[in-house]
Amino acid sequence: MTEKDKKSRPKEQARIFKKYDDLFNCSRCGTCMSFCPVYKNTKDEAVSPRGKLSLIEAISQEKLDFTDAVSDKIYTCTMCSYCESECPSGVKVSELFGEMRQDLVDKEKYPKALDFLKRRLDEAHNVTFDTNEGRIDWVKQIPDTEAEDWLRDEAEVIYFVGCVSSFSPRAFSIPRSIVQLFKEAKLDSGLLGEEEWCCGFPLLSSGMREEAKKLADHNISKVKKRGAKVLITSCPSCYHTWKYEYGKISSEKIDFEIMHVCQYLPRLIEDGRLVLKKLEKRVAYHDPCDLGRNSGVYDEPRNLINSIPGVELVELAAHKDLANCCGGGGNLESLDPDLSGKIAECRAREIIEAGVDILVSACQQCERTLGAALKKLKQEAGGKIKVADISELVLASIKAD
Amino acid sequence: MKPHEINEIKRIVGGHNVLTSREELHCYSYDSTRLEFMPDAVVKVSGADEISRIFKFASREKISVTPRGAATGLSGGCLPVKGGILLLMVGMDKILDVNPVDLLIDVEAGIITEKVDIEARKYGLFYPPDPGTVKTSTIGGNIAENAGGLRGLKYGVTKDYVNALEAVLPNGDIVNFGTRTVKGVTGYNMIDLMAGSEGTLAVITRATLGLLPLPQAKASLLAVFSSIEDAAKTVRDIVSEGVITSTLEIVDRVTINAIEDYLGLGLDRDIGAMLLIEVDGQQGAVDGEAAAVKKVCISNNCTSYRQAQSEQERDEIWAARRAALSSLARVRPSTILEDATIPRSRIVEMVQAVNETASRYGLLIGTFGHAGDGNIHPTILTDLRDKEEEKKVEAAIEDIFRAAVDLGGTLSGEHGIGISKARYLKMEISPESYEIMKRIKTAFDPYNILNPGKMFTDL
Repeated sequence: MTEKDKKSRPKEQARIFKKYDDLFNCSRCGTCMSFCPVYKNTKDEAVSPRGKLSLIEAISQEKLDFTDAVSDKIYTCTMCSYCESECPSGVKVSELFGEMRQDLVDKEKYPKALDFLKRRLDEAHNVTFDTNEGRIDWVKQIPDTEAEDWLRDEAEVIYFVGCVSSFSPRAFSIPRSIVQLFKEAKLDSGLLGEEEWCCGFPLLSSGMREEAKKLADHNISKVKKRGAKVLITSCPSCYHTWKYEYGKISSEKIDFEIMHVCQYLPRLIEDGRLVLKKLEKRVAYHDPCDLGRNSGVYDEPRNLINSIPGVELVELAAHKDLANCCGGGGNLESLDPDLSGKIAECRAREIIEAGVDILVSACQQCERTLGAALKKLKQEAGGKIKVADISELVLASIKAD
Repeated sequence: MKPHEINEIKRIVGGHNVLTSREELHCYSYDSTRLEFMPDAVVKVSGADEISRIFKFASREKISVTPRGAATGLSGGCLPVKGGILLLMVGMDKILDVNPVDLLIDVEAGIITEKVDIEARKYGLFYPPDPGTVKTSTIGGNIAENAGGLRGLKYGVTKDYVNALEAVLPNGDIVNFGTRTVKGVTGYNMIDLMAGSEGTLAVITRATLGLLPLPQAKASLLAVFSSIEDAAKTVRDIVSEGVITSTLEIVDRVTINAIEDYLGLGLDRDIGAMLLIEVDGQQGAVDGEAAAVKKVCISNNCTSYRQAQSEQERDEIWAARRAALSSLARVRPSTILEDATIPRSRIVEMVQAVNETASRYGLLIGTFGHAGDGNIHPTILTDLRDKEEEKKVEAAIEDIFRAAVDLGGTLSGEHGIGISKARYLKMEISPESYEIMKRIKTAFDPYNILNPGKMFTDL
């Protein structure tokens, strides 16, 4: 579509113009502002959920235009959905932000960094600077296993690793733990290798829904090609995308189960394929926003941790649907790394207050941002608090003597 | 404001602390009333000195200045009616000192109220005023509006906990009022004048707040009644029995049905009303008070009575009251929360007056709130985009105010006059009293530059 065509499109076609009723439901009570990590760390009304909604409402009433300034505010968000979760009036805040982002994309008023993202996903099908050929290089350093062992034509369980854990060395311990667990359990499982494309979450969350369809169609067909009955992922954003978005954007039918690894490992333990041994640790569990609030998975990771003998699980003051965001989501880190870091530090302080040895989570992003914040606050913490993914904790328990 | 005026402000606070884009100004044009007035510049301030310099300039140039905290007010208190400078106070949020022996805490005015309570609890103390917006609103805003909350009957309201404060006058003078002592009669009682002055006399920058020791024990009680009259009589009788409860909340049938529609807690939809009661203090006193409350509830025909035996049960009992406002807010697009307040002895009549008003205009009104101190919240559920409804709502609100005043009550227990109730002020305040208040305003602010357009319709 040419620039001229876009400009001649009637304004009424913008999605938010049909949302005035929902926007009017916002009573401006300000409850969202007591929970929003962005507002709490900036004290700027314009980037609070209430402020963002007021901008969207003003545009829908033609008091303001879709400008770069508006775009800036709308994209300053971790997408933790605390606002929607706590809104007394039931305004679907996150959903409205999602529609606004789509309108901003249509108007070409989105952060330029997203162009890079779109291009990479089109060319290399991942969110990094690397080619997809190196997607399972992380397997190399696992003892007694070869990459080829995991690239099978058929597998009952497919482990969808996700871009970050595939390419970011700091996150490698997660997929490495999971394949070791699957190997230990003698599970009929495999990886997609370079046939694994980005799940599309960064596009969907940015308002580029159409571009994500290609990725969804491809990924679903590759899993089906292998006759899988279960798709496992270790990334909550991949999990949410597969479970709640793929059905909406793909024409490919999904005929297999979709689970996060913390939901699947209990099956292997129940069947006796994995034997947990004593691990004397005091741990806290941080609920990742995309697994907890956005997907409703709170109890399974806790039950899994509690099933490890010797582990004492301490609840953080703000937990489950009241958990505070790590600051790592919504692309905020690339747009405003300082703000993202501040949000992480706030959550890190809550973890330090809990007085634990290990902070466990189920998201590579949360683990990285909180790990960095805890390291920065090491002196305040009076020592080092380790950060571990739930799969690493389970592996440590398997290997304990 | 002209560009050179904006530049002057930038010279005082730093260019990055002045917001002037249309988008940002829009975000600072509203509060929780859904009224909107655009400021000319949003100015983030960090202390009394800066504010003083801004006022000296604004007085000279006759530019309006309006202070703003978290903007969760329900009367339009922080809306810049005449544009001008909007002073953003939220960056001034430090805790300056805690003195547990003197039961005092010093804070900057922009601190979120809950943070004061959280800090106090580290010392085994607490900050009693707990307005509904305690997690979002600021101490400065709370003082300016004399905010209340659920603990009003036993513990009082915000003004009862302001020992001292620092403020900036419209001419730029920085003043200090109050003492750090339990008692003091030195000069006029300026604290009680500042509390509830709605940001029209001075801008509060620091406050010394009083704290209390945390009660040793508490009991949470739930009583259900088949008529709201029985519940209202119980409220009256509990105090007559000699019990000052720490919380005494009422929830009516309209509200209960809204709660059931939204959450399905299993409440009986046909009940007349529910009372949620808490008593706190030493364990012995709590036991005695709980027993007395139970006796009163039973003698007023409560159909069921329950005392929480665990934290979990306490949460269950409170779930309904906590969900009251959100449940009502979901019924229709507009939720008008009023707070006309009457002496407790007239609560039965007030409840009847509200119900009669609802019938008269064919409006849906849910009533819940702080029955113990007579501050119930008739909440009108409507859609203000419907002009016919809007007229009815206006008329209903006026009737409710008139009913409250006729019963010896007041237009506003907690929310303040601001813009929203300015036109009704003379219903309650005599011409002579109104005149002296206006003269006080003029004495503080001869050029009417501080937060104009509030409280008085003829200034």
